[in-house]
Amino acid sequence: MIAYIARRMVTAVFMLLAIAFVTITLFFGASKDPARAMCGKPCPPETRAKVSAYMQTDQSVVWQYTEFVKGLFVGRTYGEGARQVHCHAPCFGYSFPNRSDVTTLIAERLPVTLSLAFGAAVLCLVVGIGLGALSAIRKGGIVDRFSTGFAMFGLSVPTFLVGLLVVQVFGFMLNALPYSGFVSFSESPTDWAWHLIGPWMVLSFILAASYIRVARTQLLNELSADHLVAMTARGASTRQVNRHAVRGVMVPVVAMFALDVTALLGGSVIAERVFSLHGLGDLLLSGVNESDLSIVVGVTLFSAFLIIVGNLIVDLLMPLLDPRIRRA
Amino acid sequence: MRDPVLQVEDLSVSFTSGGVTTDVVRDLSMRLDGGRTLAVVGESGSGKTITGRAIMRLLPRGASARGRIVAAGREMLSADERELRRARGSDVAMVFQDSMSALSPYLDIGAHIAQAVRLHDPSVTRRAARARAVEMLDRVGIPEPADAVRRFPHEFSGGMRQRAVIAMALVNRPALLIADEPTTALDVTVQAQILALLRELQQEYGMAMLLISHDFGVVASAADDVLVLYAGRQAEYGSLRDIFEQPAHPYTTGLRAATPRLDARLDSGGKRTRLRAIPGAPTSLRDAGPGCAFAPRCGLADQVGERCVVEVPLPTVRPTNEDGGLHLAACHLDRLPALQEVAR
Repeated sequence: MIAYIARRMVTAVFMLLAIAFVTITLFFGASKDPARAMCGKPCPPETRAKVSAYMQTDQSVVWQYTEFVKGLFVGRTYGEGARQVHCHAPCFGYSFPNRSDVTTLIAERLPVTLSLAFGAAVLCLVVGIGLGALSAIRKGGIVDRFSTGFAMFGLSVPTFLVGLLVVQVFGFMLNALPYSGFVSFSESPTDWAWHLIGPWMVLSFILAASYIRVARTQLLNELSADHLVAMTARGASTRQVNRHAVRGVMVPVVAMFALDVTALLGGSVIAERVFSLHGLGDLLLSGVNESDLSIVVGVTLFSAFLIIVGNLIVDLLMPLLDPRIRRA
Repeated sequence: MRDPVLQVEDLSVSFTSGGVTTDVVRDLSMRLDGGRTLAVVGESGSGKTITGRAIMRLLPRGASARGRIVAAGREMLSADERELRRARGSDVAMVFQDSMSALSPYLDIGAHIAQAVRLHDPSVTRRAARARAVEMLDRVGIPEPADAVRRFPHEFSGGMRQRAVIAMALVNRPALLIADEPTTALDVTVQAQILALLRELQQEYGMAMLLISHDFGVVASAADDVLVLYAGRQAEYGSLRDIFEQPAHPYTTGLRAATPRLDARLDSGGKRTRLRAIPGAPTSLRDAGPGCAFAPRCGLADQVGERCVVEVPLPTVRPTNEDGGLHLAACHLDRLPALQEVAR
């Protein structure tokens, strides 16, 4: 077991290094020069060359990559003399436009993304499984028809449209919810939740759709399964049988949920943009706009790391839930 | 006379879907004493499985049963949930056809059997219930039972799984066992082993067995009495001997002629005989008209004439070779011609 986890972790490290390489290569494949954004206007060629040398973006891609990897383990120093900046290990790069290392930037933005992910995940589970289970129990009933339509809608509309609709309807027309801003949880839990209800609604609406469908089909399959008839034949009550049916629903839901949560933790670009929340998604977007290599690589690696960990958790959890996938 | 373990009187089961009600079992009666085996035989869709399920009140959604069923002294059709739960798995147990789907993929074999024990006697500790499971697996001939209880259904072979299912059904020593095609999903050699095991345990526990099957070979080796179902109705009922020696319903003879026999060569003096299929498909229950449901497929209906098409034949008493035996057939013909004649 421990050997298995260790092996997976080693694979993960190599995978992350590969992802970093691809990201850096892709970044320099774009024709925008990071130094151009930093040197201001007007930007004479000699200043630009100096800035580029200072930011170390004038070197080859392979050199950049090796420096980046080295920085992860020993830290990295840019420039010299009075303008020298040092980025401690593990250094994911230094963002010159923000005058800060990327690790600090991510740490600053994380609470927003965490709050967003937490609420959206909880809401999506409750709504998705609740509606899915109700539709399965009363198949063809009003709830079923409503939630099937709801799921269809959620799967097909784009996030930004739902986001803008929520802002428009609840923010402006009804004036019921704030349409932007973030209050930290430690400052005021009620204001925190109040500001996040909108984005939670949007994200969970999009996500819940697939949970409704999975929970419904899975529970329908389980409820007509022979082994539950056999359980009744052994003398089990309806409640006991239903409780056992939940087991079969859990397996795919847990797998899906773990991956969705990791994706949420990596930042939700669109929802954050729509509600002017400054989370990881927003950070990534600004990095792309300002041609800030360090931010793009840093956030990408962070999300990739979360996804790898999420997958590992699912792979470790599944055999506990379903003995059929237990390794011999 | 002792009370029978199972008594069914005028059982009808109907399905309602989309406002249309279809009878899948009609006016079925049977009785079964302890220690005896009654085989229910018929083609797919003849109502065999539904009859078995009705006895345990395990009907699917949309189905309802009328009539009277007394199993192990309990009125099954009027019993409330509590009484049903008490009866199921302790007085009346069931062995399913497909052992893979009848076992939960999430529980090990021991948990299934222990559950059957503890559902009916909560005072038994988990540990004691698992010990019972080991005992029971040993009894049904599973090697290394202490190790086998911890295995999961998918780790068992088909024959082992069916043994485990039998262990699960019999752990509370039911008075009545409903075995729904218990050997159909198995290899022929394993079939014979499972049948022998069922018979042996039946002798030991003195239980009654309702054996649902489509296979006359299985029936011949295990049953005392036979009930032949066609389109949800009783076509023929009698002792095994009567059914084989002097069948009184053309459907019974048809079913027998369609059963492969290893000794077929000898029958025809060295010349190979072909299996005879019953022409046509089982009558659709939905558009059952008046008259005998078998008439459209019956080679003898012409001999009787219009009566077969307009009048439902009721079971009437036929001659028996058994002392005090009951032999019934629902056919307008009083006496069937010999088998060879029917074929022509």
